[in-house]
Order: sequence, then structure tokens, then C-alpha cells
Amino acid sequence: MSISVVLIKILEFMFVAGWAGSVIVLLLTGYEDIGTLLDRKDENSH
Amino acid sequence: MSSTSNAPTGNNRVRIVVATSVMLTFISYWRAAAVILNDLGSSAFYAGGIAEQAIGKSAPWFVLGVMLFAFAVRAVYVESCSMFVRGGVYRVVKEALGGTLAKLSVSALMFDYILTGPVSGVSAGQYIAGLINDTIAIADARGWVPSAIHRMFHGTPQVGVNATAVVFAVAVTLYFWWQNVKGIEESSEKALWVMQITTVMVVMLLGWSLFTLLKVGGHLPPFPTLANIHYTDESLGFWKHSKLPHMFGILGLIIGFGHSVLAMSGEESLAQVYRELAHPKLKNLKRTAIVIGVYSFVFTGLVSLLAVMLIPDDVRMKVYSDNLIAGLAMNMVGPQVLRLAFRAFVVVVGFLILSGAVNTAIVGSNGVLNRVSEDGVLADWFRRPHKRYGTTYRIINLIVGLQLFTIIVSWGNIYTLGEAYAFGVVWSFVFKTISMLVLRYRYKGVRNWKVPPNLHLFGIEIPIGLASVGMVLLSTAIVNLFTKSVATVSGLIFSVTFFAIFTFSEKVNQRKHAHSLAQMKEQFQLQLAESVERETVGIRPGNVLVPVRDYNTLNHLKWVLEGTDTREHDVVVMTARISQFGTAAYGLSTEQVFSDYEQTLFTRAVSVAESFGKKISLLVVPARDPWSAVAQTAHNLESSTVVAGLSSKMTTTEQAFLLGSAWESIPEPKRQFVLQIVQPEGKVDTFRIGPHTPTMKNEDVVLLHRLWLNVTREPGLEDIHHHDILTEALTRFAHDFGAHDRDSIVKELRRHGTEAGPLPVRRIADQVPTVQPGPAHSDRDDEDRDDEHSDDGSSSPFTGSE
Repeated sequence: MSISVVLIKILEFMFVAGWAGSVIVLLLTGYEDIGTLLDRKDENSH
Repeated sequence: MSSTSNAPTGNNRVRIVVATSVMLTFISYWRAAAVILNDLGSSAFYAGGIAEQAIGKSAPWFVLGVMLFAFAVRAVYVESCSMFVRGGVYRVVKEALGGTLAKLSVSALMFDYILTGPVSGVSAGQYIAGLINDTIAIADARGWVPSAIHRMFHGTPQVGVNATAVVFAVAVTLYFWWQNVKGIEESSEKALWVMQITTVMVVMLLGWSLFTLLKVGGHLPPFPTLANIHYTDESLGFWKHSKLPHMFGILGLIIGFGHSVLAMSGEESLAQVYRELAHPKLKNLKRTAIVIGVYSFVFTGLVSLLAVMLIPDDVRMKVYSDNLIAGLAMNMVGPQVLRLAFRAFVVVVGFLILSGAVNTAIVGSNGVLNRVSEDGVLADWFRRPHKRYGTTYRIINLIVGLQLFTIIVSWGNIYTLGEAYAFGVVWSFVFKTISMLVLRYRYKGVRNWKVPPNLHLFGIEIPIGLASVGMVLLSTAIVNLFTKSVATVSGLIFSVTFFAIFTFSEKVNQRKHAHSLAQMKEQFQLQLAESVERETVGIRPGNVLVPVRDYNTLNHLKWVLEGTDTREHDVVVMTARISQFGTAAYGLSTEQVFSDYEQTLFTRAVSVAESFGKKISLLVVPARDPWSAVAQTAHNLESSTVVAGLSSKMTTTEQAFLLGSAWESIPEPKRQFVLQIVQPEGKVDTFRIGPHTPTMKNEDVVLLHRLWLNVTREPGLEDIHHHDILTEALTRFAHDFGAHDRDSIVKELRRHGTEAGPLPVRRIADQVPTVQPGPAHSDRDDEDRDDEHSDDGSSSPFTGSE
């Protein structure tokens, strides 16, 4: 296996693992975002 | 208190209070979202087309993926803002990785900013040229184009799309160059207005598209598998002769993702607006992030998807690759004239939002270069203000020069521009995220929020979320280096050139600054203060505030010192260090606020004070808007009078109006003060800022007096005062204005505001019979009139306060 193939495999791993982690980020922040949107007591949208 | 003759510190240095916080007016999260979306939303006009040209029909899935991933990138920005109020790339990278990498990251960011202008300008030009050509083609098909013109053009007359785009982009860039040299004010109001119109367009576009889909049906784009990704030689760059992209499925996804990443350009503005967000800041930042996330996902993501579903394959890339939304408008169901009208609306909205992005690019680049220049990384020569307008015109000239060069070299090729643009976008995100990762271990200060999830193993925190975002960005940026040859070559040349300029300039400046710092320290003693307070400056209430900017025009300071006994009233000379939109995102150190320019300015001010033998206090205030800075400073220092010089750009009335407007935005309770504007020839105009007794015309006084005489002749009304007449008149006016007569009053006031000729009071006064006042009617209310201030140059700076 050449170096370029190894490097591409590393990049592919980073991308897939990164996306998996990012989906968790999206779910967790999305859940928090719902709370932020519902909490309107100090909202000043003017 | 500072003194030119006897400094309190016991040496000969003059104390200068340097406020380290930029004075800003705070905005709601809706406005903040509008400011960001003016940049982020503009990508919708070209990102989908560029992505499809690179990777084929499955591109919308990648654009949607990018918009989804953008939510995670936003989390990184929220964390950085929770650590640094001005959490821009330069500040964060410098804090984490040091000056060298900060310079490199800012070079990539500059590449991003500088390309935003050409990409947006050319894209707007493409939309306009497309509309012109299609309108002519439709008119020609209906036989509306005269045959002579037809013969002249050897067929249907058409404009050159790329050439038109270049001409338009150059014109828009030059327009905003001039506006920035003159120093336009950035307003969130304008951004909000543009986004409201854009929202109308988006709602119409989505509604009509869904209706079309229901009517004629449509197919989803092919899913992003290796078989469905169609590379071109351009989209593979240095790998065009390699088998690698065809061997690995996931690599294909990274390539596709890399070609779509420019759809989230503009995210970096999140750090810039944070400084200006109203309380509660972090919560409002999250709300802003949600608004921009949802909006850009719907606009950029869904529009790209619908374009592939509704525009036929044979024309989508051939005709509408550079103006995809226009293509969508033309392929809806409905009469052709209605579709053409909607397309014209799309072009108008595109023109507004993309032109705004051209301006944002100039303002943002100027802000970043100002910031690094303030840090001593760029020679002070660049920061020398324009003689007339006071703007950093040399930096603006450099930016616009580079943008014009880019537009002409690309010759309107939006694909090349967009591909190169992505280089700056992705690398500035990479630097930012890696720095945030490093800061998880190195930064010990306050951090109000962290990107989740975070694991704790043996007391060590493992930032899984942050690392995940970083891995996606880094892998995409590395693959982009191979697949985007034009971007890699141009981006590297640009970044390395800028990096070399920064490094060389910094070395030269370090020597120069060491010398000037030593000089400055001999002359001035800088005292840092987070905010401007009277106690900090060491002055008494009722002082005179003198804003100065140009050291060649200090006549108003001389006028103040001539007529002021500084033993009775303190004189404060202030200068507002104007920070552009971008710089508000970064931290300001003493050297950044108090540069050699301020040093020269204060040296001159001190020598003027010395020539009068009078004391002055010196103050530097960083601000976004000079009028807000003056109004807030006068308020904080409890100044009775502000004395300004005449602006080269406006009349005294306009200056007073702007200061009055800035005063209105200060929260209650607030103090009134007098503004005096000293003209070069010595004439002084005086205005009261805040509610005050108006200057009454002689005719008004005569009418009031006649009415008063007549009223006091009525039985039982002998003791009525002049002010009772005014109270009654104003009460009736308020009643009429609030009820049935509002329109006619407004109409009448408008007429008198625009028409010359006899004033109404004269006509009414003529109808009121003249009654000679008897001895019993001596003017017991004459003090009412004495309250007015004079408008001539003989008044002292304290006329209004005493």
C-alpha cells in the first residue's frame, strides 16, 4: 500500500469520524437550541 | 486631572485616559442575524451552480450537507465568543498558536474577504446579463425586435454575459470604494431591510416551486455515491490524471463536500457581530446562530435542491449555471410574463444582497487589515487617515485594487472565482477550530459555553465535538489543496505574499515602534480604563468636551481655550478611534487605540493648550460611530458643552442632527448639553442637544404677545401668563395631531418645510388686532424669552448651561 493510499485512508477516517461526532454536536446543540428558543423571558427582538 | 503645566504624577508627562472598549450601540439578535445573512445568504445565488459544475447532479446533497455541518461550525464560534468578546480568527489564533500562525490565518482570511467582493459582484452581473438576454430573446420570439437591429447583430441581440458581469462588478466595486473612502456608516437597519425583501423572495420561490412540483412532478437528485459523482478535469485539479479519486468512495464525498463548502462562507461574521449584540449576549448569540442556520439551510440548501428538481438537465448547467435562482424562476408553472417578472424580482434582490456583500468584503478586509496594522504587523503608513474624510483610504485602495485585479483576471468566470474563494473560507475555519482545540488546554480564563460532547478521562477533558468539527474541516481543506488547483496556487501565492508583507512590516515596525514608544512614554502617561467615567478622567461636572480628529484643524480648541477659565470649567479633548465593522470583533490593546497618529494629534492639542497656558484633559475612545462616541462621552463625563469643528462633509445643522440622534439612543436617565460648532471663519452655531426650549422667531413672540394681550382683556383672565397661552396652544395641537387633524397638520408642516414664502405665523399675526399694552400688562413673562440662546459667534461655550 503506497503512502498516498495510507494518507487518503487517514483523511477518509478523519472525515467519517468527524461527521459522526458532528452529528452528535448537531443533536446536542439542537436540543439546547430548542430550549433557547422556548425561553423568551429576556427576549428583546426590536 | 491632566495638565500641560503640572502633571499630577510629579513628572512632565501628560496623562491620557485610554478607554479600551469600543463604544457601540447594541443590536437585537434579529438585526445581528440580518447582518450575517447579508453575507451568508448571498452564497445561495452562486454556490449551487458552482458545486454542480464541479461534481454533477448530486451536488445539492453536498450543499445541504454543508449547510447542516454549518450548524456545528457555528457552535465553534459560539464557544470562541463565550471566551473572547471579540473572538475573531486573528485574536483566537494568536492566543492559541502565536503570532506567526495568526499572520498566516489572517492571510487566508484576507483571501476569503478579498474574493467575496469579486464573486458577489460578478454573480450579480451574471444575473443582470442573463435577465437582459432572456428578455430580448423573448421579445425577439414575439417579433418585437426591429429587423434592422436583428440584422445589425446577425440574429437576436445579446450582451456578452461575462463582459457585462465584469463591467458591473467593476462599477459596483468602484462605487463602494468611493463610499468607503468617504466613510459610510454601516447600519443594521439597512441589512434588516435587505433581508426582509430577500425573505419575501424566498417565500415566493419556495411556495411557487412546491406548487410547480405538485403540478408537474419532479425527481430528487441522484444520491451522492461514487457512481453519481461526475468529476471534470477542473474539479479534480492536480488529481485529474490520478486514479485515486475514482478508487475511494469516501474520498469522493470529501471532494464533493470541498466543492460545496463555499456555501457557508460568511459564518465568520458571527464573531464580528457578537461584540454588538444586546444583553443577554450569549443567549442572543445562540438565537442569532439558530436564525442564520435555519435561514441559510432553507435558502441555500433547498434552492439548490429545487433547482435540480425543476430546471431541465439540458438547460440547467448550459444556460443557468451562473444564475441558478433565475433559472428556477423561469421554470415554474405559470404565464411567461409572470415568470419573467419574478425573475426580474430575483435579479433586484440578487443585486441588493450581492452588492451588499461587495461592500461587506471591503469593510471586512479594511477591518482585518486595520486590526493587524494596529498590532504593528502592517506599516503605519497604511493607517494614515484621509485628509478630508478621515478614513484609512490607503488600506481601502489596496483592497479594492486587489479586487479589481481579481475581477479582470477572472474575466467574469464565477466558477474559477468561487473555487478560489473556498480556499480562504475553509482554511480560516481550520485555523480557528484548531486554535479552539489548543485553547481547551491552554486557556484558563472564563468560558461560558463549550461545544458538546466532552468526555472526562482521568481528569483530562476530551473535546469530542470540537475535535470532530476540526477533523471534517481539516480533511476537507487538505483534499481541496489537491482538487482545487487554481484555488491552491492563487490562495498560496496570495497568502504567502501577504504573510511575507506582514512579517517584513512587523520587523520594520518593531524597530520604529520601539523608538516612538520610548518617545511617547517620555511625553504621555497612558491610563487604561474599561469605560469612560468622569472620576477616571478626573474632571468636574459641567466641563467642556472638545472632540478632535485632524491635527491640522484645531481652531475650535483654540476658541474654547480663548473663552474658558479652566480654573472654573475643565476642558476635555477627546478623539474617537474609529473601529470599522470588522475590528469590533477583535481585542484592542493600548497601542492599538493610541497609535502614533493619536500621539501626533495630542501633541498638537497639548501645544495649543500650552500656548494659552491652560489645562486640558486628554481622552481616547474607541468607537464604531463618532457621533455615538461624542454623545456617550458627553453624557458620561456630565459635560455641559460640546465644542466641535465644522465637518468637511456636512453643515452645522446636519452635524447637530446626527449628534442629537446619537443622544436619543442613550438610555434614560440622560443629561442634556449644548453643542457649539466653530466654523473656520470664526462663526459659531449653537444647538441644544436633548429636549429644550426652542428658539422662537420674533414673529412667534409677537403673535404670542398679541394673543396674551387679547386674552387678558377677558374677565377673570387678567392673571394669565404667556406660558399659559403656549400650554393651551400645545395641548390643542397635541389633541388635533392625535385625532382627526393629523393628516392636514402633517401636510401643512411639510408644505412649510419645503416652500419658501411668507411664514404662516406672519399671516396669522396680521389677523390678530394690535392692542397696545397698558401699564398693568407689563411683560411679566419676559424672562421666558430671555431663556433663548444666541446663535451668533459671540456666545461663550457655557451659554446653554448657565
